[in-house]
Amino acid sequence: MKDEPGVGLSRLKSPNWYLPILMLVLLIGNPLVLDSTTYIQVSILVLWYACLTASWNFVGGFAGVLPLGHAAFAGIGAYTSTLLFMNWGITPWIGMLVGGVLAVLAALVIGIPTFKLHGAYYALSSIAVVEIIRIITENTQSIFGIQVNGTQGLLVPLKGHAPLYFQFGEKIYFYYIILAILILIVTIAYKINNSKLGYYLVAGGEDQEAAESLGINVTRCKLIALSLSAFFTAIAGTFYAQLVLYIFPQGIMALNLSFEIAFIAIIGGRGTLLGPVIGAMILVPIGEISRIYLSGSRFLGIHLMMYGAIIVVAMLYKPQGMMGSFEKWYWMLVDKLGGKSPNAG
Amino acid sequence: MEYFLEVLINGVLTGGLYGVTAIGLTLIFGVIKVINFAHGTYLMIAMYAAYGVCVGFGMDPYLSMILIVPFSFAVGYVSQVVFVTPCLKAEKDVREPVSVLLLTAGLWIFVNNLFLMLFGANFRSLQTPYSGAVFEIGNMMISRTLLYAFCFSVLTTALLTVFLKKTNMGRAIRAVGQDREAAGLMGINIFKVYNVAFGIGIATLGVAGAIIIPMFYVHPFAGDVYDMRDFVIVVLGGLGSVPGALLGGIIVGVVESFAGEYLNMSWAAGIIYIIFLLTLFLRPQGIFGFEKDS
Repeated sequence: MKDEPGVGLSRLKSPNWYLPILMLVLLIGNPLVLDSTTYIQVSILVLWYACLTASWNFVGGFAGVLPLGHAAFAGIGAYTSTLLFMNWGITPWIGMLVGGVLAVLAALVIGIPTFKLHGAYYALSSIAVVEIIRIITENTQSIFGIQVNGTQGLLVPLKGHAPLYFQFGEKIYFYYIILAILILIVTIAYKINNSKLGYYLVAGGEDQEAAESLGINVTRCKLIALSLSAFFTAIAGTFYAQLVLYIFPQGIMALNLSFEIAFIAIIGGRGTLLGPVIGAMILVPIGEISRIYLSGSRFLGIHLMMYGAIIVVAMLYKPQGMMGSFEKWYWMLVDKLGGKSPNAG
Repeated sequence: MEYFLEVLINGVLTGGLYGVTAIGLTLIFGVIKVINFAHGTYLMIAMYAAYGVCVGFGMDPYLSMILIVPFSFAVGYVSQVVFVTPCLKAEKDVREPVSVLLLTAGLWIFVNNLFLMLFGANFRSLQTPYSGAVFEIGNMMISRTLLYAFCFSVLTTALLTVFLKKTNMGRAIRAVGQDREAAGLMGINIFKVYNVAFGIGIATLGVAGAIIIPMFYVHPFAGDVYDMRDFVIVVLGGLGSVPGALLGGIIVGVVESFAGEYLNMSWAAGIIYIIFLLTLFLRPQGIFGFEKDS
């Protein structure tokens, strides 16, 4: 989209921007329309998953590898901010950034050896890493005098309505915070998608040897993508801890969460800018609503069953995800409005 | 010393059981190059089938194999035809068959939760005259069912190895595993070989399911504990190597047995994952594998 008319803010007048702006307006107005606690709670979860999947997409989509252990980073974020808050009273706003930095360090330590592995081996090694981190956390009662509480997990100390401590009396605040984080992630993804780094990542993901022979340092590009991914996943982890006020290894570091993130992103369309977000917007409400209304004793795992069925059908008939069709409709609409699609030249 | 020996023997025997759950995975991985995340789920299906036959017809679990093994073969064959082959064909020009991996992961989650809905979350256990029986050697206690399981594992490994070495189908399977293009050029119908390989891979889980039910509970998620462990075993033993899977299983069994005895079971799983990562970094072809497989 380099050849858009106008510069700076004036280019927002181009029809290409009508739909994104409409979507933004809808997202901002969304909680004002239906003032029900359940509705806002589900909306928050949708945006939370969208943050996780959009972060996953930096490495799982753009870089073309298949990480199945992203819950590790969410866990690092959640545990760092919560432990800092409990032990030293450091506000989770700062703890969130510390967690993000720690997650980046972990990503580098994990990424440097594991990116040597190809395809499925990389996926398996990422599972092993998240499981090791979970097992260590579960078996640690306290370390250097800091209570970790093993399998029981941690309760975030209540402060009431205290915006300085990332705690709010009403859910609506959380909605706008997670929306802001999501917009930040998507903006960065958009910048990367249209930068040299983005092209390098795609080239490295499609054919590593060919890309390297052209002088691209593929491993370095992948590490940058993984670091960004880990940073924002950790931030989403802290957000979750503050929203739910209770974290435990089997929840925030579980393999289930890692798989869910990857599934949603892939069904939405891995490697596309908005595919993971669309995936979360479609799948999470289905999952949550069926969880709320159908999880009687008779339909114990129905929402997971639907996820499984959807991914099987998606892999058989639409392995590139739903975004492909959406994109086609989108550009058709843009054409009608008088805008320019990139393929039209 | 005797205690040490008892832990060791228990580890070896349990490892044999792990080995038989992993040989199907190594075969499927080695031949079709598909990471089957639903492997534990197929094991769970075999366990439910064996349990059903034993309770329904009052059959002995070991005897039930004559029904369960062909049944599992059919389940595997049909899965390959209905799910894996279309997926493989759809992504012919993609280099890493990642969508098949995700397909099997989807099957895993779907079938597990389907069974949870159909049969509920309660644990079922099979009572046999020899459940819980032990052989006593000196002060050592060796579980009888575990010893039987070990014997069946060794037997299954031996039979499968002979089959792969001596029969035409076995040779075709190995040829496709080594180089699918060359095998195709030699006139081998690759997709038919895939069907049979997947069928045999799942059939070995029929053996596993039958020997597990006298010992452990049957539950919709009973197969999951074998899933990641089987990947570790397969990588440790070398991809596609059937004896390697048995040996890898024994190594994992012994490590788990000692770690479980001197630390706890949860740490044991952590140690297994660390061994897994070290194998991937240092010797990705595994113990029995060849350099080019990695």
